[in-house]
Amino acid sequence: MAHANDRLFDHELARQVKLKKTRALVDKRMELKDAVAEYVEDGDSIIETGFAYVRGPMAANWEIGRQKKKDLVGIHTPGGLTTIFHEEGGLKGSHVAYVGVEMRGLVAPFRRGVEAGTLEVYAEWSHGALAASLRAAEQGLNYVATKSMLGSDMLKDNQYVKVGEDPWTGEPVCLVPAMYPDVAIFHVHHADMYGNSRIWGLSVNDTAIAAAARKVVVTCERIVDTDDIRANSPQVIIPWYCVDAVCEVPYGAWPGDMPGLYYFDRRLQERVIRVDWKTPESTKAWVEEYIYGTANHYEMMELAAHEEGMNTIEYVKQLEQFATSAAYYNIGTMGTGADRDWKYEEVAKRAI
Amino acid sequence: MSDEVVYTPRELLACVAARLLNDGESVFVGTGLPLVGALLAHKLHAPQMMAIYEGGSIGPEPKVLPWSVADPLTFYKAPVILSMSSVFGHSRAGFADVGFLGGAQIDMYGNMNATCIGPYDSPQVRLTGSGGANDIASLCDRLIFMGLHLPERFPEKCDYITSPGYLDGPGAREKAGLVGGGPWRVISHLGLMGFDDETRRMKLLSYHPGVTPEIIQQCTGFELLVDDNVSETPKPTEDELFTLRNLVDPNQCFCF
Repeated sequence: MAHANDRLFDHELARQVKLKKTRALVDKRMELKDAVAEYVEDGDSIIETGFAYVRGPMAANWEIGRQKKKDLVGIHTPGGLTTIFHEEGGLKGSHVAYVGVEMRGLVAPFRRGVEAGTLEVYAEWSHGALAASLRAAEQGLNYVATKSMLGSDMLKDNQYVKVGEDPWTGEPVCLVPAMYPDVAIFHVHHADMYGNSRIWGLSVNDTAIAAAARKVVVTCERIVDTDDIRANSPQVIIPWYCVDAVCEVPYGAWPGDMPGLYYFDRRLQERVIRVDWKTPESTKAWVEEYIYGTANHYEMMELAAHEEGMNTIEYVKQLEQFATSAAYYNIGTMGTGADRDWKYEEVAKRAI
Repeated sequence: MSDEVVYTPRELLACVAARLLNDGESVFVGTGLPLVGALLAHKLHAPQMMAIYEGGSIGPEPKVLPWSVADPLTFYKAPVILSMSSVFGHSRAGFADVGFLGGAQIDMYGNMNATCIGPYDSPQVRLTGSGGANDIASLCDRLIFMGLHLPERFPEKCDYITSPGYLDGPGAREKAGLVGGGPWRVISHLGLMGFDDETRRMKLLSYHPGVTPEIIQQCTGFELLVDDNVSETPKPTEDELFTLRNLVDPNQCFCF
């Protein structure tokens, strides 16, 4: 089978896939389990979305681990929490713009894999160059000429970019081809059943990625009526015709942040980064307990809560209290998202 | 009186960083210590500072310290939130005055490393990779770097150039096609450095209270030039420390 990297910059293949996508308004709702089973195939390239641990599709990432998908090619821009699966055979190699958790530290499984040579790094990217690459795909451009990456050692460790000459000015430019990942999974605040996806806060690269990727799954905090989406279209960052599946997954960004709804689960994040993932043995034990040992995202949350001696509802309420009022995320009173009473019950229902 | 002010090395770093930022400027804020310095400046003397974050937020109202460059606190009451490609595009276009970065290594020409310690193909430590650091260093008009001052963190030559400084000396940045003016200041827990206009080499501008230029040289992996007017860095003021401890980093995420 062809390597995912052979498809990654294939303009024509990407176009053919999109010509076949339906334009019709069809109900794309699925269970997360089924969407991951159907749309994430062994050997696929999978790009991280949102800002990794801010509005990242964490429930979907854990589900990919749970289903033991093999030999994926990660595109980390930023991200890399998914690199924990490489020791389980889940990740073959990576395109790296950033793998880490900022001030929490490095992701130890990634570090181990690269240092031992078991995790291949296919290319080094800067955030700006990779963002431009995805934007090129969205804008229908074969490549873009940027001023990022010039003079750096990354040029030697990225076979996909080239230094060229601006035909007008003669100055050096870094030529970055349009990138088309096999699969992208997004987590958003609201989506309708057709896939129109609305957020509060940062879109990061998501609009570009949705147009670039061959297969697109949206997970959302809540599925809303399409009339509600149509009344507030400026907040929509992903249009329906890009989307293959829509899954309602409340708390889908946990243990990351979901703007306006719940803050980073700092306790869990600090613990996994600083302690649980430090060695291959402890990582394996964590994966066995938290991923393979749970049937779904809500069992995983319940486990985290119980380890802190709390019940799940109290645990979740605490995370919600940290999240600043939704009024500050440019939503005001628009839309139905400001109504936040439903969530405790929602989790309670799914946690049981 | 001011001699009695008690502060930690990180608090001093944050205060020195904040003093370098002017009101009315735009600052592209990298993760780590730069988050603290920028926010402190914003609250002290630069209420019109325009913060840019790679997550896409521009011009938020300052609150407490964000935990990430995409933390919701980075877009608290932001009038506009763009995409990642837009904020880097804006930087190249000329909307970013100061880039503000941390990193693992910086060398005598101000090149920065966030990729690996040791050879790339068999690293002793694999680091995070560029993130936005390369873009911030390539595209902003001038650059401030913050980091701990140890010989291995200030080597003659970085193990890997993730973010370009002056590369291998005068004229190299221009030849490579880079647009920004390059490294301007380096803040460490020992001193404040700049760069010599002719040689593009790092130069000591001020040493922090309690250390000397000789000590700083011993902690540097290359010959550090010393400015003719080198002096002691002013200590943090009570106002700076109050703001830092109570309004910027009350939970001691960073400054401990």
